[in-house]
Amino acid sequence: MTYDFAEALRALPDDALGALLRLRPDLLVPVPSDTSALAGRAQSRVSVARALDGLDQFTLEILDGLRLLSAPTMSALLALTDNHEGVRGAADRLRARFLILGDEDELYLVPAIEEVCSPFIAGLGRPAADLGADIADLMGDAAKMRRTLLSASPQARAMLDRLAQGPPIGTTSAGSDAVEWLIEHNLLAEVSDGVVELPRELGLLLRRETGPLGHLHPAPPEAAGSPKDMSLVDKAGAGQTMSAVRHTEELLEAIAADPIPVLRGGGFGVLPLRRLAKATGLSEQDTAVFIETAYAAGLLGELDTATDTFFTPTTSYDLWRGAPLAQRWARLAWAWLAMTRQPFLAGSRDEKDRPMTVLSPQLERAGAPDIRFTVLEALDTPGFAPTADELIAILRWHAPRRMRNREGAHRSALREAGLMGLTGHGALTGYATALLRSSPDDDPLGVRDASPTAAERLDKLLPPPVDHLLVQADLSVVVPGPAEPGLASELDVIAEHESGGGASVYRVTPASIRRALDSGYSAHDLHSLFKRRSRTAVPQALTYMIDDIARTHGGLRTGASGAYLRSEDEALIATVLADRSLGDLNLRRLAPTVLITPFPGPRLLQALREAGYTPVPEDASGATVLSKPKVKRASGRSGKQPVFGSLSDATVNGIVEDIRRGDARLRAALRAPAEVRAAAGHPMSSLTAVQAHSQALSVLQQAVREKARVWVGYVDAHGSQASRLVRPVSIGAGYLRAEDERTQMLHTFALHRITAAAPATE
Amino acid sequence: MTTGPLIVQSDKTLLLEVDHSDATACRMAIAPFAELERSPEHIHTYRLTPLGLWNARAAGHDAEQVIDALLKFSRYPVPHALLVDVAETMDRYGRLQLVSDPAHGLVLKGLDRAVLTEVAKSKKLAGMLGAKLDDDTIAVHPSERGRLKQALLKLGWPAEDLAGYVDGEAHEISLREDGWRLRSYQQQAVEHFWAGGSGVVVLPCGAGKTLVGAAAMDLAKTTTLILVTNTVAGRQWKRELLARTTLTEEEIGEYSGERKEIRPVTIATYQVLTTKRGGVFPHLAVFDARDWGLIIYDEVHLLPAPIFRFTADLQARRRLGLTATLIREDGKEGDVFSLIGPKRFDAPWRDIEAQGWIAPADCTEVRVTLTDEERMRYAVAEAEERYRVASTARSKLPVVEAIVARHAGDQVLVIGAYLDQLHELGEHLGVPVIHGATTNKERERLFDAFRAGEVSTLVLSKVGNFSIDLPEATVAIQVSGTFGSRQEEAQRLGRVLRPKSDGRQAHFYTVVARDTIDTEYAAHRQRFLAEQGYAYTIIDAADLVK
Repeated sequence: MTYDFAEALRALPDDALGALLRLRPDLLVPVPSDTSALAGRAQSRVSVARALDGLDQFTLEILDGLRLLSAPTMSALLALTDNHEGVRGAADRLRARFLILGDEDELYLVPAIEEVCSPFIAGLGRPAADLGADIADLMGDAAKMRRTLLSASPQARAMLDRLAQGPPIGTTSAGSDAVEWLIEHNLLAEVSDGVVELPRELGLLLRRETGPLGHLHPAPPEAAGSPKDMSLVDKAGAGQTMSAVRHTEELLEAIAADPIPVLRGGGFGVLPLRRLAKATGLSEQDTAVFIETAYAAGLLGELDTATDTFFTPTTSYDLWRGAPLAQRWARLAWAWLAMTRQPFLAGSRDEKDRPMTVLSPQLERAGAPDIRFTVLEALDTPGFAPTADELIAILRWHAPRRMRNREGAHRSALREAGLMGLTGHGALTGYATALLRSSPDDDPLGVRDASPTAAERLDKLLPPPVDHLLVQADLSVVVPGPAEPGLASELDVIAEHESGGGASVYRVTPASIRRALDSGYSAHDLHSLFKRRSRTAVPQALTYMIDDIARTHGGLRTGASGAYLRSEDEALIATVLADRSLGDLNLRRLAPTVLITPFPGPRLLQALREAGYTPVPEDASGATVLSKPKVKRASGRSGKQPVFGSLSDATVNGIVEDIRRGDARLRAALRAPAEVRAAAGHPMSSLTAVQAHSQALSVLQQAVREKARVWVGYVDAHGSQASRLVRPVSIGAGYLRAEDERTQMLHTFALHRITAAAPATE
Repeated sequence: MTTGPLIVQSDKTLLLEVDHSDATACRMAIAPFAELERSPEHIHTYRLTPLGLWNARAAGHDAEQVIDALLKFSRYPVPHALLVDVAETMDRYGRLQLVSDPAHGLVLKGLDRAVLTEVAKSKKLAGMLGAKLDDDTIAVHPSERGRLKQALLKLGWPAEDLAGYVDGEAHEISLREDGWRLRSYQQQAVEHFWAGGSGVVVLPCGAGKTLVGAAAMDLAKTTTLILVTNTVAGRQWKRELLARTTLTEEEIGEYSGERKEIRPVTIATYQVLTTKRGGVFPHLAVFDARDWGLIIYDEVHLLPAPIFRFTADLQARRRLGLTATLIREDGKEGDVFSLIGPKRFDAPWRDIEAQGWIAPADCTEVRVTLTDEERMRYAVAEAEERYRVASTARSKLPVVEAIVARHAGDQVLVIGAYLDQLHELGEHLGVPVIHGATTNKERERLFDAFRAGEVSTLVLSKVGNFSIDLPEATVAIQVSGTFGSRQEEAQRLGRVLRPKSDGRQAHFYTVVARDTIDTEYAAHRQRFLAEQGYAYTIIDAADLVK
C-alpha cells in the first residue's frame, strides 16, 4: 500500500504543519524548498530515526504493536491491550509526528520505521515462515504446537518463557540438552551457530498472560524517597556554588602562577592536571570539570609567546573576579550548561588508545548540552531528588533510544550538576530552575519585567559580602565572610592567601609587605588600611613588621645609566655638576664623589674635554684606558676587476637571442590572429562559444602531434582575456601543457578556460 | 541564614569565632573530630583530617553527628561536596578489624571482602600479613601490629584495633587526693586516653601533665615504664608520684646514667636508652625487663628515632604520650600519632589560663639596637655564624640587667643557647650559671636554692628548656635560642606558667637584636605561641635601659 505523503502534508492547515515542524525540528535544517522536499525528508531514515529517538518507551511499545499488525487499524491496535486511553494517546503522538498516517480503519506506517527499528517487534521473533518450513508447519498447526509445548521439560519451558519475554534471541552453550530438544522439536530455530530464535507465533502463545506486546510501561518508573525540603536544597546548593567559584578561582590562580604549556594535539597534559589537583585538594576528575568550565566561560585562554603557547587566565578573568559571587557563579553555570564538551572523558583513552586530555579537541561532544538539559529537566520538580540509578531509569523510559550508550554521560552530567552547585542534596535548586528557564540572550535590553534571574535568587542565599577583617597576633588576617571585591583585591597584594571558602584567611608576611610597598603602598597606607578595615585592635607585631620593612625598603637602589664620572676630589665633582656648559649631559649626583649621565661614555668624555676638563676613561675593573687620538677614515670599496679583450661567442649569441626574442614578443603582441582575439571577447566571431571551444581543442591536439606553434586565447585567473603564442606539449586531465617560446617556460592552461586556438602562421 | 560561630572553608579548615555566644557549645561539638590547629585571640582554626575523622569513629561518633554539628553551627551554607566527603571518609573506618582470634592469634578481619582483598594485594603490606585463614580473615604477625596499622592508615583503610592490650603485671597504684583534686581537664584527658587505649595528651607547660600520667597509672594499676628527657626531670616525676599517689620510694626505680634500677614503676631517660655501644642499644632491654602494662612518654615531641623504632613493637601495651607542643621541627608528628597513638586531648592554652590553672603571661619582645661595631661584625660574618653573632651581641647585657632590675624581688630565669654569652651574663649579673656540664648534684642544689628563694636569679643553658619544675619563677628572659625553634619558645615560656601562690602574672622577655636574622628567627619562634593567643608586645631596649 502506498500513501501520498506529500499530499497529506500539503493538505495540513498551517498550524498543524507548524506543530509538526516544532516536534521534528531537524526537518528545518536546511529549510526545505517545498512540500515535496519536506515530505521526502520527513520519510528519510535519518529523520525518522531522530523522531523515534524523542519518543518514550510506551509510545514505542505501541508503535511496535502497530508494526505487529498485518493490516494496522485503530480497532486492531486497541484490541492488543486494555489501556485504551494510553494507546490513543500514544497513537496521537505518533500521528502528530507523521510517523503514522491515514484513517482509523486504515493506518499507514512510514516505511522507514521498519528500517530503523529492531527486527524483533515488541521483543518477538520473526514469523515462523521466515525461519524454515518445518517450523512453519508446526506453528501452522495450533493443536500440535500446544502438544509439543506441553511435552517440553520444565527446564526447556523455562527457557522458552525467558525468550518469550524478549529479546527472542539466545545463545546456547554447546551440549545443553534442553536447547537440543527444543531445536529438534522445532520450537526454537537455530539461526546461526549457537544462536537460537523463538518463532513469533510461539512467542505470542507464551505471552497469553501479559498480552501480545508483553509487559507494557505506560508510566515512567517512580523514584523512592520523599521530596527534599527546598530550603535545605537551596542552602546546600548555595554552599556548593561558593566552593565551585572558589575552586575555579584557585585553579586559575595556580595556572596564572605557573602557566601550562599547550600540548601539540591541544589541551594540557596529565602531569599539570595532577599537580593542579594536588595543589587544590580536588580529585583529578573535578579539576577537569572546573578547568573545562572556566575555559568555556572564557576565563582561561591560550597565550602565544615567541617560543610556546600557554594556558593562562584571560583578561575577562580579572573582570569576573571583581563581580559579585552570584554573578560569577551564573557565568560558570551557563558555560557548563552550554559547553559542547565532556570533561569526564579526560583521563580515559579514545578508540585509537590515545589518552584524552583536558581541553583537547577529543573531549568535544556536540550532544553534551542536550544531555545536561535532559538531566536537569528530569529533575525539574521541586524537591525531587532521585538517586543516579533512579534518574537513569526515568530518562531511559522517556527516551529509550536516545539513552542507548549514553548512560555514562548522563550520570556524569548529574554528578557535575552537583559539583557546580546546580543541585543540592540531589535536587534541583530554585536558582538553577531560574537558570534553566532563561537564556542569557533572552532579553538583552532587560525590557521585560522578568522574574528574578538565577544570579539574583542565588544572591539572596549567599552570605552578604564583608568589608572588614580581623587581624590576629599570629599575623593571620581573617575576613569572616565572602570578601567584598575591593577588600579582596587589597588583601591579595598585602597578604598571602591561606584558605578560602565561607571566609578567607590571609597571612601577612615580610614578603607580602614588601610586595605591597613595591606596588606603591606606603607604610602609612598600610597602617591606615588595617586600622580602617580591622574590627579588632591591630596587633603590635604587625605594626612593627610594617615599619621595619618600610624602613629598609628601598635601602638599596638600582637603575641604569650610560656612564659615570667619579673623582676623589669632591670639589671638582661639584664644579662639574655646576658647569652650565655640561647641562646637556643631565648629570646627576649619586654620591659626593660620583656623577652619572644617561649618555654613553664617549659622549661624556668628549663633552668634558670640550669644556676644558681632563677626564680619563676607565674600564669595568677600574683600570685607566689609554687612548691615542684617532684619524677618521672611511671604509673603502673593493673595486671590480676591469674586463679587457673581446666578448666570447657564447655571450654574444646569448645577447642576440635575447634581442630576437624581444622582437618576436613585440610582433607577437600585434599578431595574434583575429579569431583568437575575437573569441577572447570580441563580437566578431561567427562561432558560438561551444563550437569555438571544440574547434580550439582539435587545433591544439593537431599542434601537439605536429609540435607546431599555436595562438591560444584564454581567460586568466582574474577573469580577463589574454592570448599567448605557445608550443603545445601535451593535453590531458583537463589541462594543456605548452611551452612559451618567449620565456622558455612550461605553462599549464586549464582547458575550460581556453576560448580559442589558431595555428601560428609563420 | 544562620548566624553560627563556625565558618567552614573549602580546604576543610573550620574557623571558630571565639567571641560568639555559641562558641563554647560549638567547640564541644567539633572537638571530637576536628583538630585544633591554631587558637589566636579572635578566630580559632580547626582542621578536618581523615585521621581526625577516623579517631572520632574510633571514639564512637558517626558521620551523622559530624555533619549535624557542622550544619548546626555553620554560619554559611556548607558545600555539599564537603559533607559527602566527610561521610565517605568516615565510612572507610572499620571495614577492617584487628582481632585476637582464640585459635590463630592476631588476625586481620575484613567486614568488606573487597577491601580486604585490595589491601592484601598491596605491596606496602608485604611481610606483615601471614596465611589467609578464610575469605575474610588473614593472620597477622603479632610483631607487625604497629607497622600494619601505620601502613593501613596510609592506604586509607584504617583498621579498628580490637585486639586489646596486655594487662601487664598488676600493681596497685592509686591517687591520693588529699587536699587536692584532679582538675576537670586533667580528668577529661585521662578519660579520653583510657577510652582510646593509647594516645597523646597535649597540655600547656605547667598545666600538670605529670598528674595526667599519675591518673593513667591509677586507672591501669599495673607496672609502668616512664620515659623522660633527663635525670632531673625523672626525679621530679618521682617526687610528684610520691606526693600524689600511694607509691612508695621502694616501688619507683630510676634507670639513668647514674643508676640502673628496675622496679614496678621505672623512670628511664631517653639518653640512656639511646646510648649506643658497639652498634647496639644495650639499654633497650629495659622495655622487656618487666611485663609493663603502661608506658608513658614524657615530652613526646622529643622522642628520639631509635625509640620510635622500638615503640612499633610495643603495640600490645598501653602507651601514653605527654607534650605541650606537638610540633617537631623534623615533621615527624605523623609518626608520633601512628606509633604512640592519636591525639586524645588538646586544650587551648588560653582556656586553661582562663580557668586559672596556668599563670597569665605577658610576653614582651625587646629590640636592641646594635652598636655600629657590632653591626659591622654582623655584616661581615659568614652566613652560618650570623645568628650567633647577632644573638650574642654584648649590647644585650645591659638590657638583661635592666629587666632583672625592673623585676627586683621576683624569681628570674635567664635562658640562652651560647655558653660564652651565658658565662658573660652570669658574671655581669653576678649569678650562678647552669649548663650541660653542671653536675646533677650541683643542679639540684641550685634549683633547691632557687625554689627556696635563696637565689633569685639563675642563668640557664638549654638544660632549662624542659621539665624543670620551678614554680616560683615568674620572669624568664630569653637571650638566644636554637634558631627558629617554635617548641623551644613554648617550652621556655612554660617555665614561668606554673600558677603562682599569689596569682601574680608571669613575664616572658625575649631580647633580640634589631635588623638582624635574630628578629626573623624570633618572629618564627613566636609563631606557635601567637597561634595559641599570646600576643607579644614589642618595646625598644632604649626605653628600658634609661
